[in-house]
Amino acid sequence: MALPVSVDATPAAPVRTVSARHFVRLKLRVMGNNFRGQGWRIALFVGGALLGLWFAAAGFFLFAAPGLTGNGRYAVLIAAAGGGLLVLGWLFLPLVFFGVDETLDPARFALLPLPRRTLVTGLFVAALISVPVLAVLIATFGLVLTAWSLGGWSAGLVAVVGVLAGILLCVAASRAVTSAFATMLRSRRVRDLAAVLLAVTAALLGPLQVFGLAALREADWTRLTGVATVIGWTPLGAPWTVGIDVAQGRVWAAPVKLLITVVALGALLAWWSRSIESAMVGAASAGKAPVRRGVTGGAVAQLFPRVTTWAGRDRFGALVAREARYWWRDARRRANLITIAVVGIFVPVLINVTGGDFAFEDGAGFTAAASDSSPVVVTISMLLVGVLAAVTLANQFGFDGSAYAANVVAGVPGRVELRARMTAFSLYVLPMLGVVAVVLSFLLSRPEWIGLTIGGLVATYGAGLAVNSLISVLGAYSLPETSNPFAMNSGAGLAKGLLTLLAMLVSVVVAVPMVVAAALLGDAWLWLALPVGAAYGLGAALLGAYLAGDVLDRRQPELLATVTPRR
Amino acid sequence: MTVEHPALALRGLAKRFDGTIAVAGVDLDVPAGSFYGLLGPNGAGKTTTLSMAVGLLRPDAGSAWVLGHDVWQDPVTAKRLLGVMPDGVRLFDRLTGAELLAYNGLLRGMDPAVVDQRAAELLDVLALGDAGRTLVVDYSAGMKKKIGLACALLHGPRVLVLDEPFEAVDPVSAALIRDILTRYAAGGGTVVFSSHVMEVVERLCSHVAILAGGTIKRVGTIDEVRGGRSLEQVFVEVVGGRTATGEELSWLSQ
Repeated sequence: MALPVSVDATPAAPVRTVSARHFVRLKLRVMGNNFRGQGWRIALFVGGALLGLWFAAAGFFLFAAPGLTGNGRYAVLIAAAGGGLLVLGWLFLPLVFFGVDETLDPARFALLPLPRRTLVTGLFVAALISVPVLAVLIATFGLVLTAWSLGGWSAGLVAVVGVLAGILLCVAASRAVTSAFATMLRSRRVRDLAAVLLAVTAALLGPLQVFGLAALREADWTRLTGVATVIGWTPLGAPWTVGIDVAQGRVWAAPVKLLITVVALGALLAWWSRSIESAMVGAASAGKAPVRRGVTGGAVAQLFPRVTTWAGRDRFGALVAREARYWWRDARRRANLITIAVVGIFVPVLINVTGGDFAFEDGAGFTAAASDSSPVVVTISMLLVGVLAAVTLANQFGFDGSAYAANVVAGVPGRVELRARMTAFSLYVLPMLGVVAVVLSFLLSRPEWIGLTIGGLVATYGAGLAVNSLISVLGAYSLPETSNPFAMNSGAGLAKGLLTLLAMLVSVVVAVPMVVAAALLGDAWLWLALPVGAAYGLGAALLGAYLAGDVLDRRQPELLATVTPRR
Repeated sequence: MTVEHPALALRGLAKRFDGTIAVAGVDLDVPAGSFYGLLGPNGAGKTTTLSMAVGLLRPDAGSAWVLGHDVWQDPVTAKRLLGVMPDGVRLFDRLTGAELLAYNGLLRGMDPAVVDQRAAELLDVLALGDAGRTLVVDYSAGMKKKIGLACALLHGPRVLVLDEPFEAVDPVSAALIRDILTRYAAGGGTVVFSSHVMEVVERLCSHVAILAGGTIKRVGTIDEVRGGRSLEQVFVEVVGGRTATGEELSWLSQ
């Protein structure tokens, strides 16, 4: 292959400039090569694209509703609130749930003589080539339709500009924030701080939602429109509302709002470009690790962290100790633990406190609404938390990657392996679930429901462990070996989503007896739930380890091959 | 035992990846107590062969025995006799060196007291004791090789299978590794390792096999394979290298 490398005597030989076009072509090429000869990946991609289009169509009609009905009263409300949620979603969802598609890993460009501006623009434009961006584009064109039907073609045209700027803002926000957090999680000094910060930020979403919905319940629609107008003047809502402003005669607002958007976009890109730089050099050297001395005890004593001192100094104990250390030391696993903590607070509050009845409420506030919750609803919400916690293990071998070879070489029996992994994970998760149960019971002012909540949580968590250990053996996939804990392989995002969905569905089915019991047994269940739930969860987990362990024994080498990243 | 089994016996091992044949039927007998070098250029199938021999990769065809125990039918016994250091495979590198050794020892079902004692000795001999609480992920390449070797040696295996033990290792560490391997072989152990560094193989090995294109091209004691020439000459001839004519890459000279 002839490479256009030249070390001519004339150093002024024209160097062809690199533009964003090259990054886009590179991304498409990498995506294409990932699909080559992998039929299931193409199928997954197409499935994901269709799913995205379906959501896009739903969003389109929501945003277009004021235009289609010809009623402009709530147009600003829909645009500002919907668009604002969209930006927030782009900001938080990658962080908490999905990760970002790092087809083009910035670290790979570290050695190329590229100006930072070129690099950031290129990576940014390449990031725009994705199904979610297309889906959002389709959905938000509903706003264009609204603006056009309310204010003619000039308003529509302004709306197009606004929507495009808004999408750029979404992508820039998600990149900047994940990149910044990845940098922080990588750095040894502020890693713990970053974890806490992330947890707090995400956990704030829960209460915010409660207050938001409470406000929605009390406030009349005109006041909400006022709030929406204010949101429309922040970067969250500015790009989405410009078209409607023009349509409703506030032409002067359009340039100001577009300026707000552009300034926000510029700030985000500047922030991103700073953290990209640290990601690039960080890949080469994460700084000199402090040589920690003061080693006490023998090698075995060092392996076992304090929470596992009870474990025997044998195969099972070693696995538990190593897993327990990994859940703490591996940034990717730690990010998952944070997700559980966040979801654990967020989902039950959402369902129990705000789910009831905001049509009939006379505005007596929290407790009145809360008392409408029933043991069945509580058990259902606990079911979701337990299942979501356990689903983290759906790709537990993927976290290990090729390091799993050590266990294959040592010939670890599958049942011991799975039981140990469940135990180590539970060391972190069970206390969290306990906190969730207590907090929820008090939030509902029903302390007598603690047994019910804990029982429901443990039962579904145990059932989830059982289902997920089987899925982790059969449906494992490799994770990219980058230092960004939020990075996903392209195409793996949907695989992950589908697998997670499957695991959750099956887990829910397995845990349904708890809901049925809550519905049928009445008050007696309040006391029975804890012992029965604990026994059910433990039994399910052990049975799961027993069955899945057998499968694991037969396919250890195959599992190792699937979790080893392709190089 | 009435019959002396070879330390490692491979019969017709074959593996195909996505239509390309990586290993096309390898037969090999490694005598007990030998120091066996598996030579081959990049992409010859060395790693694939060794992975199939130790139970990390399921072969499409063929079988492997360790001291008479079938690796794929009776993996528990075979794996107990084996010590393995794979190449291109991560260690559980978010542990410290001592923690990693303890993990591997207990995973092999060893007594904790023995693990403690051997781990301390290995860390000392391999000059890894100074690393203290540094995680293995922060080790240098040479240190990673050494801790990998320590993990393979810890349970006192009868057969040691090492994939590229001298790759990316500085001369001091290489000398240390060589020394330890020689002592291990002198004590009755069998060493099988892959490499493409001729001089190391020539200095250490009693037996050699040259692998290219997924098949064994030459096999025997080192003197049989060399046949009076240098190992490098034989290797290049067997593998069929290409020599530069000086015409191409002219732009390299300024």
